[in-house]
Amino acid sequence: MEEGRAERRRRTEAPSCTQGGARRAGIMTDVHRRFLQLLMTHGVLEERGVRRLQKHCYRVHGRTAAVEELEDFINNINSVLESLYIEIKKGATEDDGRPVYALVNLATTPVSKMASDFAENELDLFRKALELIIDSETGFASSTNILNLVDQLKGKKMRKKEAEQVLQKFVQNKWLIEKEGEFTLHSRAILEMEQYIRETYPDAVKTCNICHGLLIQGQSCETCGIRMHLPCVAKYFQSAPEPRCPHCNDYWPHEIPEVFNPDKEREAGTSKANKKPSRSRQH
Amino acid sequence: LRGKANPKRGVLWDPRAAREGPERLVPAQTTAPEEEESPSSPSPHFKDAPQSSPATGTPGSPKVPGEVCSTNQCRRSPIEEKVALLVYYLLYKYQVKEPITKADMLRNVIQIYKNHFHEILRKASEHLELVFGLDLKEMDPNRNTYVLINKLEQSCDARVNDNGGVPKTGLLMTVLGVIFTKGNRATEEEVWEVLNMMGLYDGIKNFIYGDPKKLITKDWVKEKYLEYRQVPNSDPPHYEFLWGPRAYAETSKMKVLEFVAKTHDTVPTAFPGWYEEALRDEEERARARVLAKASTAAMASARAKAIASSFSSPK
Repeated sequence: MEEGRAERRRRTEAPSCTQGGARRAGIMTDVHRRFLQLLMTHGVLEERGVRRLQKHCYRVHGRTAAVEELEDFINNINSVLESLYIEIKKGATEDDGRPVYALVNLATTPVSKMASDFAENELDLFRKALELIIDSETGFASSTNILNLVDQLKGKKMRKKEAEQVLQKFVQNKWLIEKEGEFTLHSRAILEMEQYIRETYPDAVKTCNICHGLLIQGQSCETCGIRMHLPCVAKYFQSAPEPRCPHCNDYWPHEIPEVFNPDKEREAGTSKANKKPSRSRQH
Repeated sequence: LRGKANPKRGVLWDPRAAREGPERLVPAQTTAPEEEESPSSPSPHFKDAPQSSPATGTPGSPKVPGEVCSTNQCRRSPIEEKVALLVYYLLYKYQVKEPITKADMLRNVIQIYKNHFHEILRKASEHLELVFGLDLKEMDPNRNTYVLINKLEQSCDARVNDNGGVPKTGLLMTVLGVIFTKGNRATEEEVWEVLNMMGLYDGIKNFIYGDPKKLITKDWVKEKYLEYRQVPNSDPPHYEFLWGPRAYAETSKMKVLEFVAKTHDTVPTAFPGWYEEALRDEEERARARVLAKASTAAMASARAKAIASSFSSPK
């Protein structure tokens, strides 16, 4: 049924040029603008947070208006953003399949988007980390391996101590995630950079056999080598008594994670600030 | 858009042609995966994909290297591309709260189209206003500096000093956040606890912020962002922080709460008590603005009456 709504969304979205975008800007109210401003400062936000953000914006700027259904709300905003090559893009976290949204700037290569926030040597450090992550089996690059490349960076010379702090800056700005001294891509980076990554590293890049999206973390078949995102595994094998590889039919050897259930989370009242990465690295 | 970092800057593409993100969690009834379209070269191009939309999985028709237009994009001129780039540049400057100079814009964005500077700037500011609710204002006509002001929070005439706002370091917002969430006053220990978590320590110079102790107890106090005072009757003396008058003027409890929420990866309504307080603060500010407007209007009308009466009764 999610598929059906997505289908409908696709059909109603029409291409536009700048004039159309400006015309459609008529639907933008302060509610939408505030939402955009706040989403922009977040960089990336989980669906639950996005819903609350939407309600907050109605509270502050549109008390009398009826709260629009989130999907329509976002589609309306996107129709206006189209002419600017910006989009509110939806994705999912790789470790547990939480839906996330990010305001993505499509017109420039995403690494150059970061270019405004970071110096040349810092960007090069990110690029090096990115390459290590993409080349790795697990989707993680160790801090040590990244720091060992510090001498090869373009721009001003950076010491390892500084590089550690820069890596932390990347984590704070939601480009990287750190787990136990190893780094992988944040869902924000994946949302913003998927295209760039596929085009820049076409041979090294891994994709999910189920959704065909870019894959950084996931599980792989030990026989034929195909890979799947953890949330894709969860969904695919959801009611399967005996999980088998969709490609070679061999027994699937890994633990099958649970499908992300937002309602269950709400009941448990878990704080989502620290997602626990129990099954993230199984290859 | 510093221009030095990424050699591929300037590559434009239409991502709508073939984007299959991880959101599609069902066994794909999608069409062929994207790898089959190998990107040809880093030259500027658009994928030809008239019907596709961001969520779709259908690959577009093969890219034509060097071709700038696709059917739904053919009306986009180089000027319009520059408009989009200028919008991003201005948004970035807004987020880091740096003023923008004409020279910066010409060098980083406009470049060869400098004869169209005003047209590009005008269109960009229209987009910023319509879409993001941000106003581009000329700060200093002599030095060609501009600043983006958030229309959604503007208090009509009352706000005088919009060019600085709360400084770019999120650090000040963090400290204001600690003070607010501790009941509008925070002990020095409470503030250091938070700063320590960010890697800032009393007595240890940080390569971004310098001497943190000096920053929070002297510099920001002098700039009136913070108040630093001895807790009354404390022996041995303890110190506490409060918001300074400039913080009240340049930001608000709601804005600081938004910042705090963001650092916790959530939204203001997740903190009902503080949210209520922030809402009350917003209402008070709105009331104060109305009063200020009314008094300005009253003064204006009194002046007008005085002038009118001076005309009607010749001396």
